[in-house]
Amino acid sequence: MRKLKSVLLVMIAATTVSMASPAADANFRDAMSAVQANDLGKAMHCLELAIADDPENVRYASEYRQVAIRSKDFDRSIDYFSKLVANHPRSANLHLNYGFAYVDKIPAAGSITQVILANNALGEFTKAVEIYPNWIALYTRGASYLFWPKIFNKAPLGVADLEKALALQKRGPTKPYYVRTYIALGDGYCKTEQMERAKEIWKEGLSKFPNDSRLKDRLALHGDQLVTLIENNFDPNKRVDTDLREIWLDARE
Amino acid sequence: MVRRARIGLHLALAVWMGLGFSPAGAENSGTQPKFDDITARAGIKIRHHTRTYSGKNGDVLRMFTSGGAAVAVGDYDNDGYDDLFMTDSEVGKPNHLFHNNGDLTFTDVAEQAGVAGGNDPSSIVSDAIWFDYDNDGLPDLLVARFGTPILYHNEGHGKFRDVTAGSGLTRFGNTIAVIAFDFDNDGYLDLLFGNYFQPVNLLSLKDPHVLPNNLDGATNGGGVTLWRNTGHGSFQDVTKKAGLGKITGWTLDVGHGDFNNNGLQDIYVACDFGTDHVFLNNGDGTFREVTEKATGWDTKKGMNVDVADYNNDGLLDIYVTNIYDDYMKECAMLWQNLGDGTFVDVSSDVGVCDTGWGWAAKFADFDNDGWQDLFVVNGLRSAGSDNYLPVLLPMLTTPGIDFSDVNNWPDIGDRSWSGYQRKRFFHNQGNATFQEIGATVGVNNDRDGRGIAIIDIDNDGRLDIVQTNANQAPILYHNVSGNVGNWVELKLMGTKSNRDGIGARVQLQAGGLTQIRELDGGNGYAGQSMHRVHFGIGASNKIDALRIRWPSGRVEIFDVPINTFTSVQEGSGIVK
Repeated sequence: MRKLKSVLLVMIAATTVSMASPAADANFRDAMSAVQANDLGKAMHCLELAIADDPENVRYASEYRQVAIRSKDFDRSIDYFSKLVANHPRSANLHLNYGFAYVDKIPAAGSITQVILANNALGEFTKAVEIYPNWIALYTRGASYLFWPKIFNKAPLGVADLEKALALQKRGPTKPYYVRTYIALGDGYCKTEQMERAKEIWKEGLSKFPNDSRLKDRLALHGDQLVTLIENNFDPNKRVDTDLREIWLDARE
Repeated sequence: MVRRARIGLHLALAVWMGLGFSPAGAENSGTQPKFDDITARAGIKIRHHTRTYSGKNGDVLRMFTSGGAAVAVGDYDNDGYDDLFMTDSEVGKPNHLFHNNGDLTFTDVAEQAGVAGGNDPSSIVSDAIWFDYDNDGLPDLLVARFGTPILYHNEGHGKFRDVTAGSGLTRFGNTIAVIAFDFDNDGYLDLLFGNYFQPVNLLSLKDPHVLPNNLDGATNGGGVTLWRNTGHGSFQDVTKKAGLGKITGWTLDVGHGDFNNNGLQDIYVACDFGTDHVFLNNGDGTFREVTEKATGWDTKKGMNVDVADYNNDGLLDIYVTNIYDDYMKECAMLWQNLGDGTFVDVSSDVGVCDTGWGWAAKFADFDNDGWQDLFVVNGLRSAGSDNYLPVLLPMLTTPGIDFSDVNNWPDIGDRSWSGYQRKRFFHNQGNATFQEIGATVGVNNDRDGRGIAIIDIDNDGRLDIVQTNANQAPILYHNVSGNVGNWVELKLMGTKSNRDGIGARVQLQAGGLTQIRELDGGNGYAGQSMHRVHFGIGASNKIDALRIRWPSGRVEIFDVPINTFTSVQEGSGIVK
């Protein structure tokens, strides 16, 4: 069963290339041409058509949100996914991207709205986990918990998700993006005041990803400097990279 | 958004300007101020009380109106020692007029002076300022309220008379801030009120939809009201005519200054729950909004406006506190004036971003080194060990919730909310940076600060601090710094200009530095500083030049003595 889930993750990613419908693929190519021409409105329109044809396509949804970020049309992206998940309530991919659409808007929002957006995102990530608790859903929700201020005590929930994500990724071949789990889980341990475990997991991560500067930086720092480095990564005013390119590039390879 | 788009270029320019205008060798000499808390010794044995409300929404309304602890400095009896007016807010509780005895002690004379009242069953005292509205040389007193304001005329001999009824200032408003300045340069001080709520009486609430309709961009606040002084003892509401009628934000503070060096007083409006506003004075009795170009729009919780040239480049900068805490990262904004109609926020770069839940902030040169430092008070509510935020979160994240409905907000009870915060003292390093040294200088108390007034209580040229606190006792910090620099302190008296000299621009050259000050009429949340212009000049034992540009436009150049208090009259020079 566990092995099957890992395979499914790869299959989801692989759909970005191999399983797209001809119409969706044509719309996607048009969208990419529009992006090149800086016609972001047209790009969003074409991507909306492509996603509607192929809701499980990680790449289409991800590219759509990146265009929305460039055009600062966050509400359009949120509205679009809102309608799409209503029509496809069992699509983990759509719930995930719907959540990311909220996350994408956070740096552009006021501080109270940021809380509301983060909470909305968390709701969608939870639905994704409930539908299909694969690595990306667990990693995403786990990491998102870590952004919450300490007073809300969500970091332990993040650690729990990230530990599950780590367990999943250990069952299959190593992917380049798996380094994120080691980083985030260590950060989660740090936020839950388990510094020794944080160091251990970063070291373990570095043994598998020896060139990752983020892990090296964390292991090189101590005390307040380390805390500052980590907290800076969870500043809601800084844009979080929600581009899922790594996943489909890996699938294509 | 506009702000973000150009911040890179402007920041580089700002840093360059900050460094470029600071002459080599003119940096901070390394001295640090030191303060003693002399509140009790000085005879100031009072505490503020926030207003309590009856009914099921009483707890929430009290939380939303937990200001009102204000202080205004003025020498009401012209004895050469600045006095203090301090407010209370609970029904029946008196305000206080502390007469400065000249020996570091004060005596509360509010009752005999006739200025203790104001907290009646339908009104809440919220702020106060001294201003000589009739230019008779005696400071008058304006008490702002959630209600109608009270204007006291200074009759002399320590007595005041309530002249509100004949002043035109009879309209109800939920005023939280007031400043006096001469916006039309006619020689009479006008009044700008910052109003938090719309003009509904919270003490007899009929419609529960009185709270902000959006917590990052509210449009249902009280805005501002501009009252023009007719010169005949009355005021006229010219808000709309002046172009200020479209502000619908939750104004928490207002500030004035000549931002573009054209001799006219401009305005900054700080709003809670949404964007601040910048208005330039057209010189014809109207203002034009330039927010988009000047600063860009924001979504922060603007709490305070203070105006000063922090980097001695000849341009007035603006400091606005916001809310910066573990759960909300809204840096304070230090709007560095670039001189081209735009400002850039350099708060993070110069080290004055993190203020906690900020309230008042005031620039002043506490060690007389020629560079203005910055004192900031903070803290919303210090109560029990439980935190209000986990209780608040479910409401905030309820889909479609109406934030404006007071019934939707959970009671705070005995919970704390951004309480027990340490005050910040940002020491100006003279190189476009500040260092926070509140603990070292002795002002890092953890009370729920609201207002700040700068005062020289003993006329020794070392600036002292009054800090008011919500529902708590105030603090009087006496400046006992050793090894401070030399200083110049001026009392300005307008003749053609308003008698207080508010809006006068003073430029001083000494020790290789050129500094400017502009006398303001109450900038800063809940605190009006002394009506004196103070300069620190470091080790310089003389000034090279002192130039005053009066609001009338008259420019005068003086030579004034150092290390003493000097009175200057428009057209007559030094008068004593």
